[in-house]
Amino acid sequence: MIKIENLHASIDGKEILKGLNLEVKAGEIHAIMGPNGAGKSTLASVLAGREDYEVTAGSVDFDGVDLLELSTEDRAREGLFLAFQYPVEIPGVSNINFLRTALNEIRAYKGEEQISAKDFMAMVREKSAIVELDSKLASRAVNEGFSGGEKKRNEIFQMAMLEPKLAVLDETDSGLDIDALRIVANGVNKLKSDKNATIVITHYQRLLDYIIPDFVHVLYDGRIVMTGTKDLALELEEKGYDWIKESIDA
Amino acid sequence: MENSNKLTQFTSRFPSTEIDGLSPMANSARLFLSGNDFPTTREERFKYTRLTKLSNAQLDNSAVAAVSDYRKYQVCPEAIPIFIVNGQVYLPETNVPSGLIIDNISSSKSLPSSSMKDVFAAMNLLHAQSGVCVHVAKNTVIDAVIEIVHVCTASYAGFTRNHISVGENAQAKLVMTYASEQTKACFSHVHTSIEVGKHAHFNMEKVQMESSDLFSFSDEEVWQGADSVFQINTLTLDGNLVRNDLHIQVQGEHAETHLNGMYMLNGQQHVANYTTVDHQVANCESNELYKGIMDDKSIAVFNGKVFVRQDAQKTNAFQSNANVLISEDASVNSKPELEIYADDVKCSHGSTTGQLDDEALFYLRARGISERGATQLLLTAFMSDVLEKITIPAVKTKVIKTINERFNWELNL
Repeated sequence: MIKIENLHASIDGKEILKGLNLEVKAGEIHAIMGPNGAGKSTLASVLAGREDYEVTAGSVDFDGVDLLELSTEDRAREGLFLAFQYPVEIPGVSNINFLRTALNEIRAYKGEEQISAKDFMAMVREKSAIVELDSKLASRAVNEGFSGGEKKRNEIFQMAMLEPKLAVLDETDSGLDIDALRIVANGVNKLKSDKNATIVITHYQRLLDYIIPDFVHVLYDGRIVMTGTKDLALELEEKGYDWIKESIDA
Repeated sequence: MENSNKLTQFTSRFPSTEIDGLSPMANSARLFLSGNDFPTTREERFKYTRLTKLSNAQLDNSAVAAVSDYRKYQVCPEAIPIFIVNGQVYLPETNVPSGLIIDNISSSKSLPSSSMKDVFAAMNLLHAQSGVCVHVAKNTVIDAVIEIVHVCTASYAGFTRNHISVGENAQAKLVMTYASEQTKACFSHVHTSIEVGKHAHFNMEKVQMESSDLFSFSDEEVWQGADSVFQINTLTLDGNLVRNDLHIQVQGEHAETHLNGMYMLNGQQHVANYTTVDHQVANCESNELYKGIMDDKSIAVFNGKVFVRQDAQKTNAFQSNANVLISEDASVNSKPELEIYADDVKCSHGSTTGQLDDEALFYLRARGISERGATQLLLTAFMSDVLEKITIPAVKTKVIKTINERFNWELNL
């Protein structure tokens, strides 16, 4: 699905990713954990094509396509989805209008027909139920006046609508209470199939009680320094990150 | 050399007005113009608008091209149309509803006394060639939209004067359309006086879509009576040098005033909106919202003044101007002003100018929307509150169609 090799990226001349390697196959869920400042969100931003970051070396193969050569929108159209850590409020743009535009642009890119208004609304009803998102929220302006939990549910709702091949969840658990966390995680689990894959970026192990990863990676100082199963997440929760820092820095 | 300045040269090409109703004001207009030249940027009212292009323009109103089909410029197909084509008035050909009187302005014996705020206002008094009077009798509701369509063509230069009176407890909607074709060095100045009677409702959509090589000046002078509601939407979609002066005197208590504006500029357009709301009495409310999007090297000017006189207690006056620049070279000069002499009022004003939110653009693009599509979504969202003020669907449709054509967009509202 995605193969990241020796990825180096910097912002304002400061190198954040320093040779990151990661391979995710279809049907898998990978968790990336790590201390603050390790480069977790940078990885998400670089994959999505945020222009503030400069990729200085390395490659990202996304299902046979050179991801780094694509614009942000083409990455999304190829099937990459980033659930934002801080979803943006966009006053005046309705969630529905925005999603229909997105869906139709993705379809046009793939040479598919535009979705009819009727099919679209049926899809909205079906998918909003997955994250228990009130259909009233679906018709409001994008994230405007949404609570933190509603914003994150809206991210997963969008993911359900756009049906990506690879979803990158950037600290989707941050700011969520346990109920919202469960709803969001359930949504992600329901969308899982053997054709798609998920990268869950998180600081805390808690989310991984609900979204069970196949692999857990530790990102530290711009590189993946350790890979294990879900037990590694529990170990990190218990022992913190210092022991990893010490073993690496030594 | 008082007689050979640029202003006298400019005015010399215009014949004297033959509108009788203006004669009481002729002397003061002459006095105002005497020894005066075109205003320079040292004058506050023209600080951001250079008139040299106009004063140096080769205007020749002796050979005005004919308009092939002026009817096509009507925006609202169901409206009762009045056409003013290069100064020639065409009154409605069919019967108008009872209580509505439409006639040439020359038939009007008395016209309201006009303020001499600049040389253009004075020139209009002396040189207005034609125009219409629209009168809505008291207690009359006119359901049909009335539309006055101004059209001008190559080398037309002239002054037009309209008068609209909406009687006590009457209601009417008017579209004021400005269009042009094959304009080359065209100049048009239109003055419209509007009296909104007690308890009357008057809604006006001013749709400006003249071509981008025309000097278009227009002003509205409005008087509002007690319990009246007046709304004007100034929608500027094209034009070279466009200057709008809107002056509203709120003279009766419990009156409501809504003035909204939208300007979408590109190329080297210069569009200036000057507005004054003069609250003279107590218990009134005014809301002002002007928004603009500027591309290329266009320049917008907004100067909005709200006066709250000493007697105008309990006034609620709100004013806001917001601009989005979508090019590095576009610019805005925005000056909201409040002058308050009463002590028990609620007033606010504000002005913002910025670029599109990069985070929002990235968010939309990360969902698969092209940069162009994302930009349009955000610009439409920015404009949506002003677009919502447009009360006549045909006007809204026309505005969106015009924007799509000029900016090569695909807005779909």
